[in-house]
Amino acid sequence: MPSNSEAVLKRLANEALRVRRNVWRALHAAGAGHVGGSTSAADLLAALYFHYLNLRPEQPDWPDRDRFVLSKGHANAALVAVLAQAGFFPDSHLDEFYGYRTLMGMHPDIKLGGVEMSTGGLGHGLSVGVGMALGGRLQKRGFRTVVMLGDGELQEGSNWEAAMSAAHLKLADLTAIVDYNKIQQSGHVQDVLGLEPLADKWRAFGWSVRELDGHDMAQITAALDALPFAPDRPSLMIAHTVKGKGVSFAEDTHLWHQNTVGDEIYRKALDELGEPL
Amino acid sequence: MSAMPESAVSQAADQTRLAFGLAVGELAERDDSVVAISADSVDLIGLRGLVEKHPERVVEAGIAEQNAMGIASGLATTGMRPYLCGYAPFITARSMEQLRNDVAYANQRVVIGAAASGVSLGVSGGTHHALEDLALMRALPNMTAIVPADAYQAWHAVWATREIDGPVYIRLGGRVAEPPVTARDAAFRVGRADCLKDGDDVAIIACGCMVVEALAAAEALAGQGVAARVLNMHTIKPLDGDAVLAAAAETRGIVSAEEHRVTGGLGGAVAELLARENPTRMRMVGMPDEFAIVGPTDKVREGYGLSKANIVKNCLELLG
Ligand SMILES: [Mg+2]
Repeated sequence: MPSNSEAVLKRLANEALRVRRNVWRALHAAGAGHVGGSTSAADLLAALYFHYLNLRPEQPDWPDRDRFVLSKGHANAALVAVLAQAGFFPDSHLDEFYGYRTLMGMHPDIKLGGVEMSTGGLGHGLSVGVGMALGGRLQKRGFRTVVMLGDGELQEGSNWEAAMSAAHLKLADLTAIVDYNKIQQSGHVQDVLGLEPLADKWRAFGWSVRELDGHDMAQITAALDALPFAPDRPSLMIAHTVKGKGVSFAEDTHLWHQNTVGDEIYRKALDELGEPL
Repeated sequence: MSAMPESAVSQAADQTRLAFGLAVGELAERDDSVVAISADSVDLIGLRGLVEKHPERVVEAGIAEQNAMGIASGLATTGMRPYLCGYAPFITARSMEQLRNDVAYANQRVVIGAAASGVSLGVSGGTHHALEDLALMRALPNMTAIVPADAYQAWHAVWATREIDGPVYIRLGGRVAEPPVTARDAAFRVGRADCLKDGDDVAIIACGCMVVEALAAAEALAGQGVAARVLNMHTIKPLDGDAVLAAAAETRGIVSAEEHRVTGGLGGAVAELLARENPTRMRMVGMPDEFAIVGPTDKVREGYGLSKANIVKNCLELLG
């Protein structure tokens, strides 16, 4: 697989910047929200939606589309941002985040075109993804399924049931991505309930694993282009990321897992992020 | 509507759990989207035939109900029709969050076949009794909850799921015999109670294994000059409010009967409706607010008054 050109990587990085700006925009409209885990996932989501996933925004229920499940549903601001950028709905929806009678709540709602599953309770998405991948295989549709997991989320035991079954069922069309930002609500993951050795655990469960820098677009796209990493096995990307990435005061602190976003903070954040192309 | 065929009757005439699996196998022959998911329950639920004939149509999830429930939801989103099979105590309580979020909240067409409900696993004790499953299902929006009274109705219920645009919970028995109480070709309509016996002194509203006891009680009452109506309330949600309100208006009181705690089950559903629409004198036959004792199923049921005799007693007390 040839590496992606500078132009492609630059375009994807620009989409990632737009995701981050849109996350802050949505959470500013909401008044508060999950800044940290939404912005740590921005580069991965931009690469998925603008480089990897085969979708038809004008026909969100197209049966052969690739599936993406945001299992770490609290990062919904990033999901709706990238869906708006991809054309699933007008980006003015982002200004209604947390709004009364909207589909723009804190967590993804399957009723919103482009959202494949209502998530938010942690440890659900990978099992759902296993079912989607099975459905694609049984119907010979050939679509691919990607599930994004949080690191703290992996403390839920249900993930490991799903991991076991995905390998047992040889779901090569299933990929999981861990947004490994090392922080959860109340502190560092390693202090709350450590995950290491994380790659070894997944390999022991029968997955083919690749680790990468989740903010390096060349590495992200190279990994996506190499999927599946092995025949007859599900693939796992462990993406090392920085919580709150892109805004200095929000980076690498559990205080920005979820926080209020007032006018002054919002202005500072946009200033630091800079203008997209 | 499709009645249970002769070939299935010979295998499962007195076992709702087996009728469920056989019906899923028959549906799978006709509809490529039908897929069964087993939580290590292939034989419990009568899926062995389907496994042998079309192994790709049975997903074995192992002893992992949370994952099984999520898989069922994911399959349903792709247009498949998953029938998830497991033990009632585990496929509800263990995977309740997946059931609530991935199935009910996301409103996916997942059918849950919950075998070994109530105290059918009597000797196994409280860990294996399912006496709150209907309360859990009743509290979920979008959910349809069905308790077939016999194997014939279990077959009909599986068939009826094809027309239900949302999740369905079908409560099934264990290995104790469930004698037929309905005709094999009797009409079965989801949300419409069967009036198995008419009467205007008292109405017995029963479900599942208590329907046969209710019929026996009505017969005993008839010998004492009391005309009891017997309703087989095979659908707990949505409840047949018309049948309940008619019974309240046309008799002098209602006795509910179920193999479930009286809080949150059939009796609770009937009482909630009557309290709103037409406060009516009522007695509830069912499990009390405690974990059931251990013992053979027939003795445990008898011990808690899940019996003809106790239904008769409650009817007579009610009529004063
Ligand atoms: Mg984290």
